[in-house]
Amino acid sequence: MEHMASGDQGVTEPAASIDGDPASLEDAAAEAARLLARSSQPLIAGLGADIEGARAAIALAEQVGGVVEHMHSSVLMRDLDCLRETGVMLTTPGEARVRADVLLLVGDALVETWPALIERLLRLPARPEGVDVARRVIWLAPEADAKIPGFSGEITVIGAGIGATRAVNLAVLRARLKGRRVARAEIPLPTLDALAADLKGARFGVAIWTAARLGALELEMLNGLVRDLNDTTRFSTLPLAAPDNGAGVLAACGWMTGFPMRTGFGTGAPEHNPWRFDAERLVASGETDCVLWVSAFGAPPLVWRGGSISVALCDRETRLAETPKVRIEVARPGVDHDAVLHSPDTGTLGAVSAKAPRTAAPTVAEALARIAARLQDSSASTC
Amino acid sequence: MLIHLKGGRLVDPANNRDEIGDLFIRRDRIVAPPQGGVRADETVDADGLVVMAGGIDIHSHIAGANVSTARLLLPEQHRAHARRPAATPLSNAGWSTFETGCLYAEMGFTTVVEPAISPHQALHAHLELADIPIIDKAILAILGNDDFVLGLMRSGEGASAIQHYVAWILESTRALGIKVINAGGVAAFKDNVRKFSFDDVVPYYGVTSRQIVKALQRAVHDLGVPHPLHVHCNNLGLPGNFKTALETIAAAEDLPLHLAHLQFYGYGAEGNQGFSSSAPQLAEAINSAPNVTIDVGQAMFGQTVTVSSDVLRQFSARGQAHPKKYVIIDGDSNGGGIVPYEYKAGSFFNAVQFAVGLELFLLISDPWRVFFTTDHPNGAPFTTYPEIFALLMNKDLRAQWVSRLPTESAAVTTLPSLTREYTLYEIATMTRAAPARLLGLADRGHLGVGGRADVALYRPGKDLAAMFRSAARVYKDGDLVVRDGAVTHYRFGRSLQVAPAVEATMQRRMASYYDARYGLPSDFMRVPEGAVGRPQPFETIACSC
Repeated sequence: MEHMASGDQGVTEPAASIDGDPASLEDAAAEAARLLARSSQPLIAGLGADIEGARAAIALAEQVGGVVEHMHSSVLMRDLDCLRETGVMLTTPGEARVRADVLLLVGDALVETWPALIERLLRLPARPEGVDVARRVIWLAPEADAKIPGFSGEITVIGAGIGATRAVNLAVLRARLKGRRVARAEIPLPTLDALAADLKGARFGVAIWTAARLGALELEMLNGLVRDLNDTTRFSTLPLAAPDNGAGVLAACGWMTGFPMRTGFGTGAPEHNPWRFDAERLVASGETDCVLWVSAFGAPPLVWRGGSISVALCDRETRLAETPKVRIEVARPGVDHDAVLHSPDTGTLGAVSAKAPRTAAPTVAEALARIAARLQDSSASTC
Repeated sequence: MLIHLKGGRLVDPANNRDEIGDLFIRRDRIVAPPQGGVRADETVDADGLVVMAGGIDIHSHIAGANVSTARLLLPEQHRAHARRPAATPLSNAGWSTFETGCLYAEMGFTTVVEPAISPHQALHAHLELADIPIIDKAILAILGNDDFVLGLMRSGEGASAIQHYVAWILESTRALGIKVINAGGVAAFKDNVRKFSFDDVVPYYGVTSRQIVKALQRAVHDLGVPHPLHVHCNNLGLPGNFKTALETIAAAEDLPLHLAHLQFYGYGAEGNQGFSSSAPQLAEAINSAPNVTIDVGQAMFGQTVTVSSDVLRQFSARGQAHPKKYVIIDGDSNGGGIVPYEYKAGSFFNAVQFAVGLELFLLISDPWRVFFTTDHPNGAPFTTYPEIFALLMNKDLRAQWVSRLPTESAAVTTLPSLTREYTLYEIATMTRAAPARLLGLADRGHLGVGGRADVALYRPGKDLAAMFRSAARVYKDGDLVVRDGAVTHYRFGRSLQVAPAVEATMQRRMASYYDARYGLPSDFMRVPEGAVGRPQPFETIACSC
């Protein structure tokens, strides 16, 4: 049972529960603290939160010796691995918008990931200073018959449906760009050579993708291709940001701990290990005995094998497969309360005012602060 | 509560003082000795200790998007350290904001300026700064490669439009001043220009670096912003680039100008390797230009990472990356380049760089106009400051270091012949009194009555580096935060900003500019006080207009 709406202005009372039964926020926080304090390996996962929420989660993880994870870490890590293994060229959505004469879209799910792509990048903006940039859109290796609904401009599609051989074709393209000989490729060589010439001929090209749909090898080839292009011209990349404030949480995790997500505090100092601290692995292997799941933007939890959520901080509407031990409703950042979030439109952190507050539920940061405050009592009683 | 620091050596150049004496602190201020038998609540025996105002670092890359990227690029660079007391959360997290604040405080520094923030990323920078404990902070906002300034100059709108824009940027980003980085060169690089000097013309906009620097210098000055335009010149790191620095100094004419990390511009093209020190020429030019201040950007040996918004320079240096990886960002104005680098004591080039920095320190005669920096982390991490203080204060120690350098590098510098030794008084001038004056921080950098109670006590000894690494005591706003070189607890400082008046017409104009060019509201970069997550996160420093 959940508390009834209070009626006034549609703002409802916060809901919390223990074992599915309604509970006060205080009791729920105390129970969550007890679970965390008893745990030998707590995991703070999901982390769909604003910057304040992420800060509180990381601080809590240090306090309880837990692991910090984000629901889109595996996507973030694919881009990040390229960055930290070989380096990358990057640009901003703003610079791509005003400057790009060639947009190289790669793979699928671009508009789905960032609906504003069409309005912000594919359509040429009015240039206040009157620079006339012609913009060519090339779409490399999408699914067969892929379309960008809502965009009527011209798109040159190359290598649609090559799927499994995308990495090889990107490697061949990179080789041809360097003038090297190649044996064969799925895409006809004259097509790849023409593409290489178009990319080389760009004045300021921008490659766009989402790592959700590309593999590690494909990303490495793409980033290498762009680096090579800069030997003679200017070319950069705009990997689309992961949802649920993934890039924002990454930033906060970076400045607070020195590391990205998948960082654990078991030894008392932060330790980053993308394999060991992968939430899915920690749950499946049974290494974690307490999962605190945070999802303030309405994203449903991942379905894990072999484990369930102990403490859920989520939206009222979020449906969980199993009833968690503790559930605390949290407010949605940027809707119910002012928040700082990463913006895919600007590529940086921005302050977002509450659009239409619907609930008096605590923010993620407030809920975590309540739990942290009760942690002292829990550790005192169990020691 | 009245605290009495009794019988220390007060080194306070702002008040022409270097003497044994008492200092009284009440709340967050230095106060006059109490009258009529009032006794202090706490008396600290400072006998044998050196007492200085808290140190002020005017140029250290400690926060912002580029520093964040550097952390992510180099996970191998910052293994966490040994466990520390839980009283100071995350202070053991290597290269974290929390560790940054602790390490600065332990050296007796209480105010640090992050000198390179792109306006669009101001909020990110302020959020990071808010998680740096103990010290006060500030940002300089970067202009001079942004379309709006270049567009104003292209259309010949003149000084007042640029001045209004600069005011709008300072207010929107909550910055303490303005920095220009390779003026025009970074914008030109987006048009595939690979070399850019002071009189080169930015494609499309038709303006030169010289014109941009002079226009921004004038605007900052006319707005009454205390800190003069902070300039990162063109041609950083290239042989023969001392001429670019000399041109920039000459172009300053009589208006104030600050040149950042001059060491990186102290290079001639003489000798067998085509690389030599031109520090003496630069020092001579600085000595005869009283309107110009500089900071050194000393290089020290070891692994570091170069973090710069001079995207052209960083791109050009990508081949020297160590380890071999780099990130180059074409941003909305400057962007950034992150290139890891190792300064090797056995390298001829690195040894010359090391020598050039020390030569500048030792050959520029006025400690009020030469500032102590390593351009952290570009020349070296700020944790090397204690070693550099020791090198400046002890010529025998310097001779030992020089003896270990490649002999050919000593031949193209004057370092081996320099015998000057900095005094404690000069160190205090360079790191306290002068920076406070340069930034317009009237209540900092001195120990006079009414000053902010940011006070560092050092225990002098034979090992000068040890003295500066571990302050005996540090007070921040009168709160004892460091004892025997270790942080005892956190408090959170403020970010210092100026707030010049902004014309209503400029607000409207920026709204329509951002809408037309980016399809965004012009306030997307705003930094609301409540967004930063700390109580009273900002403090406004007065402009002189």
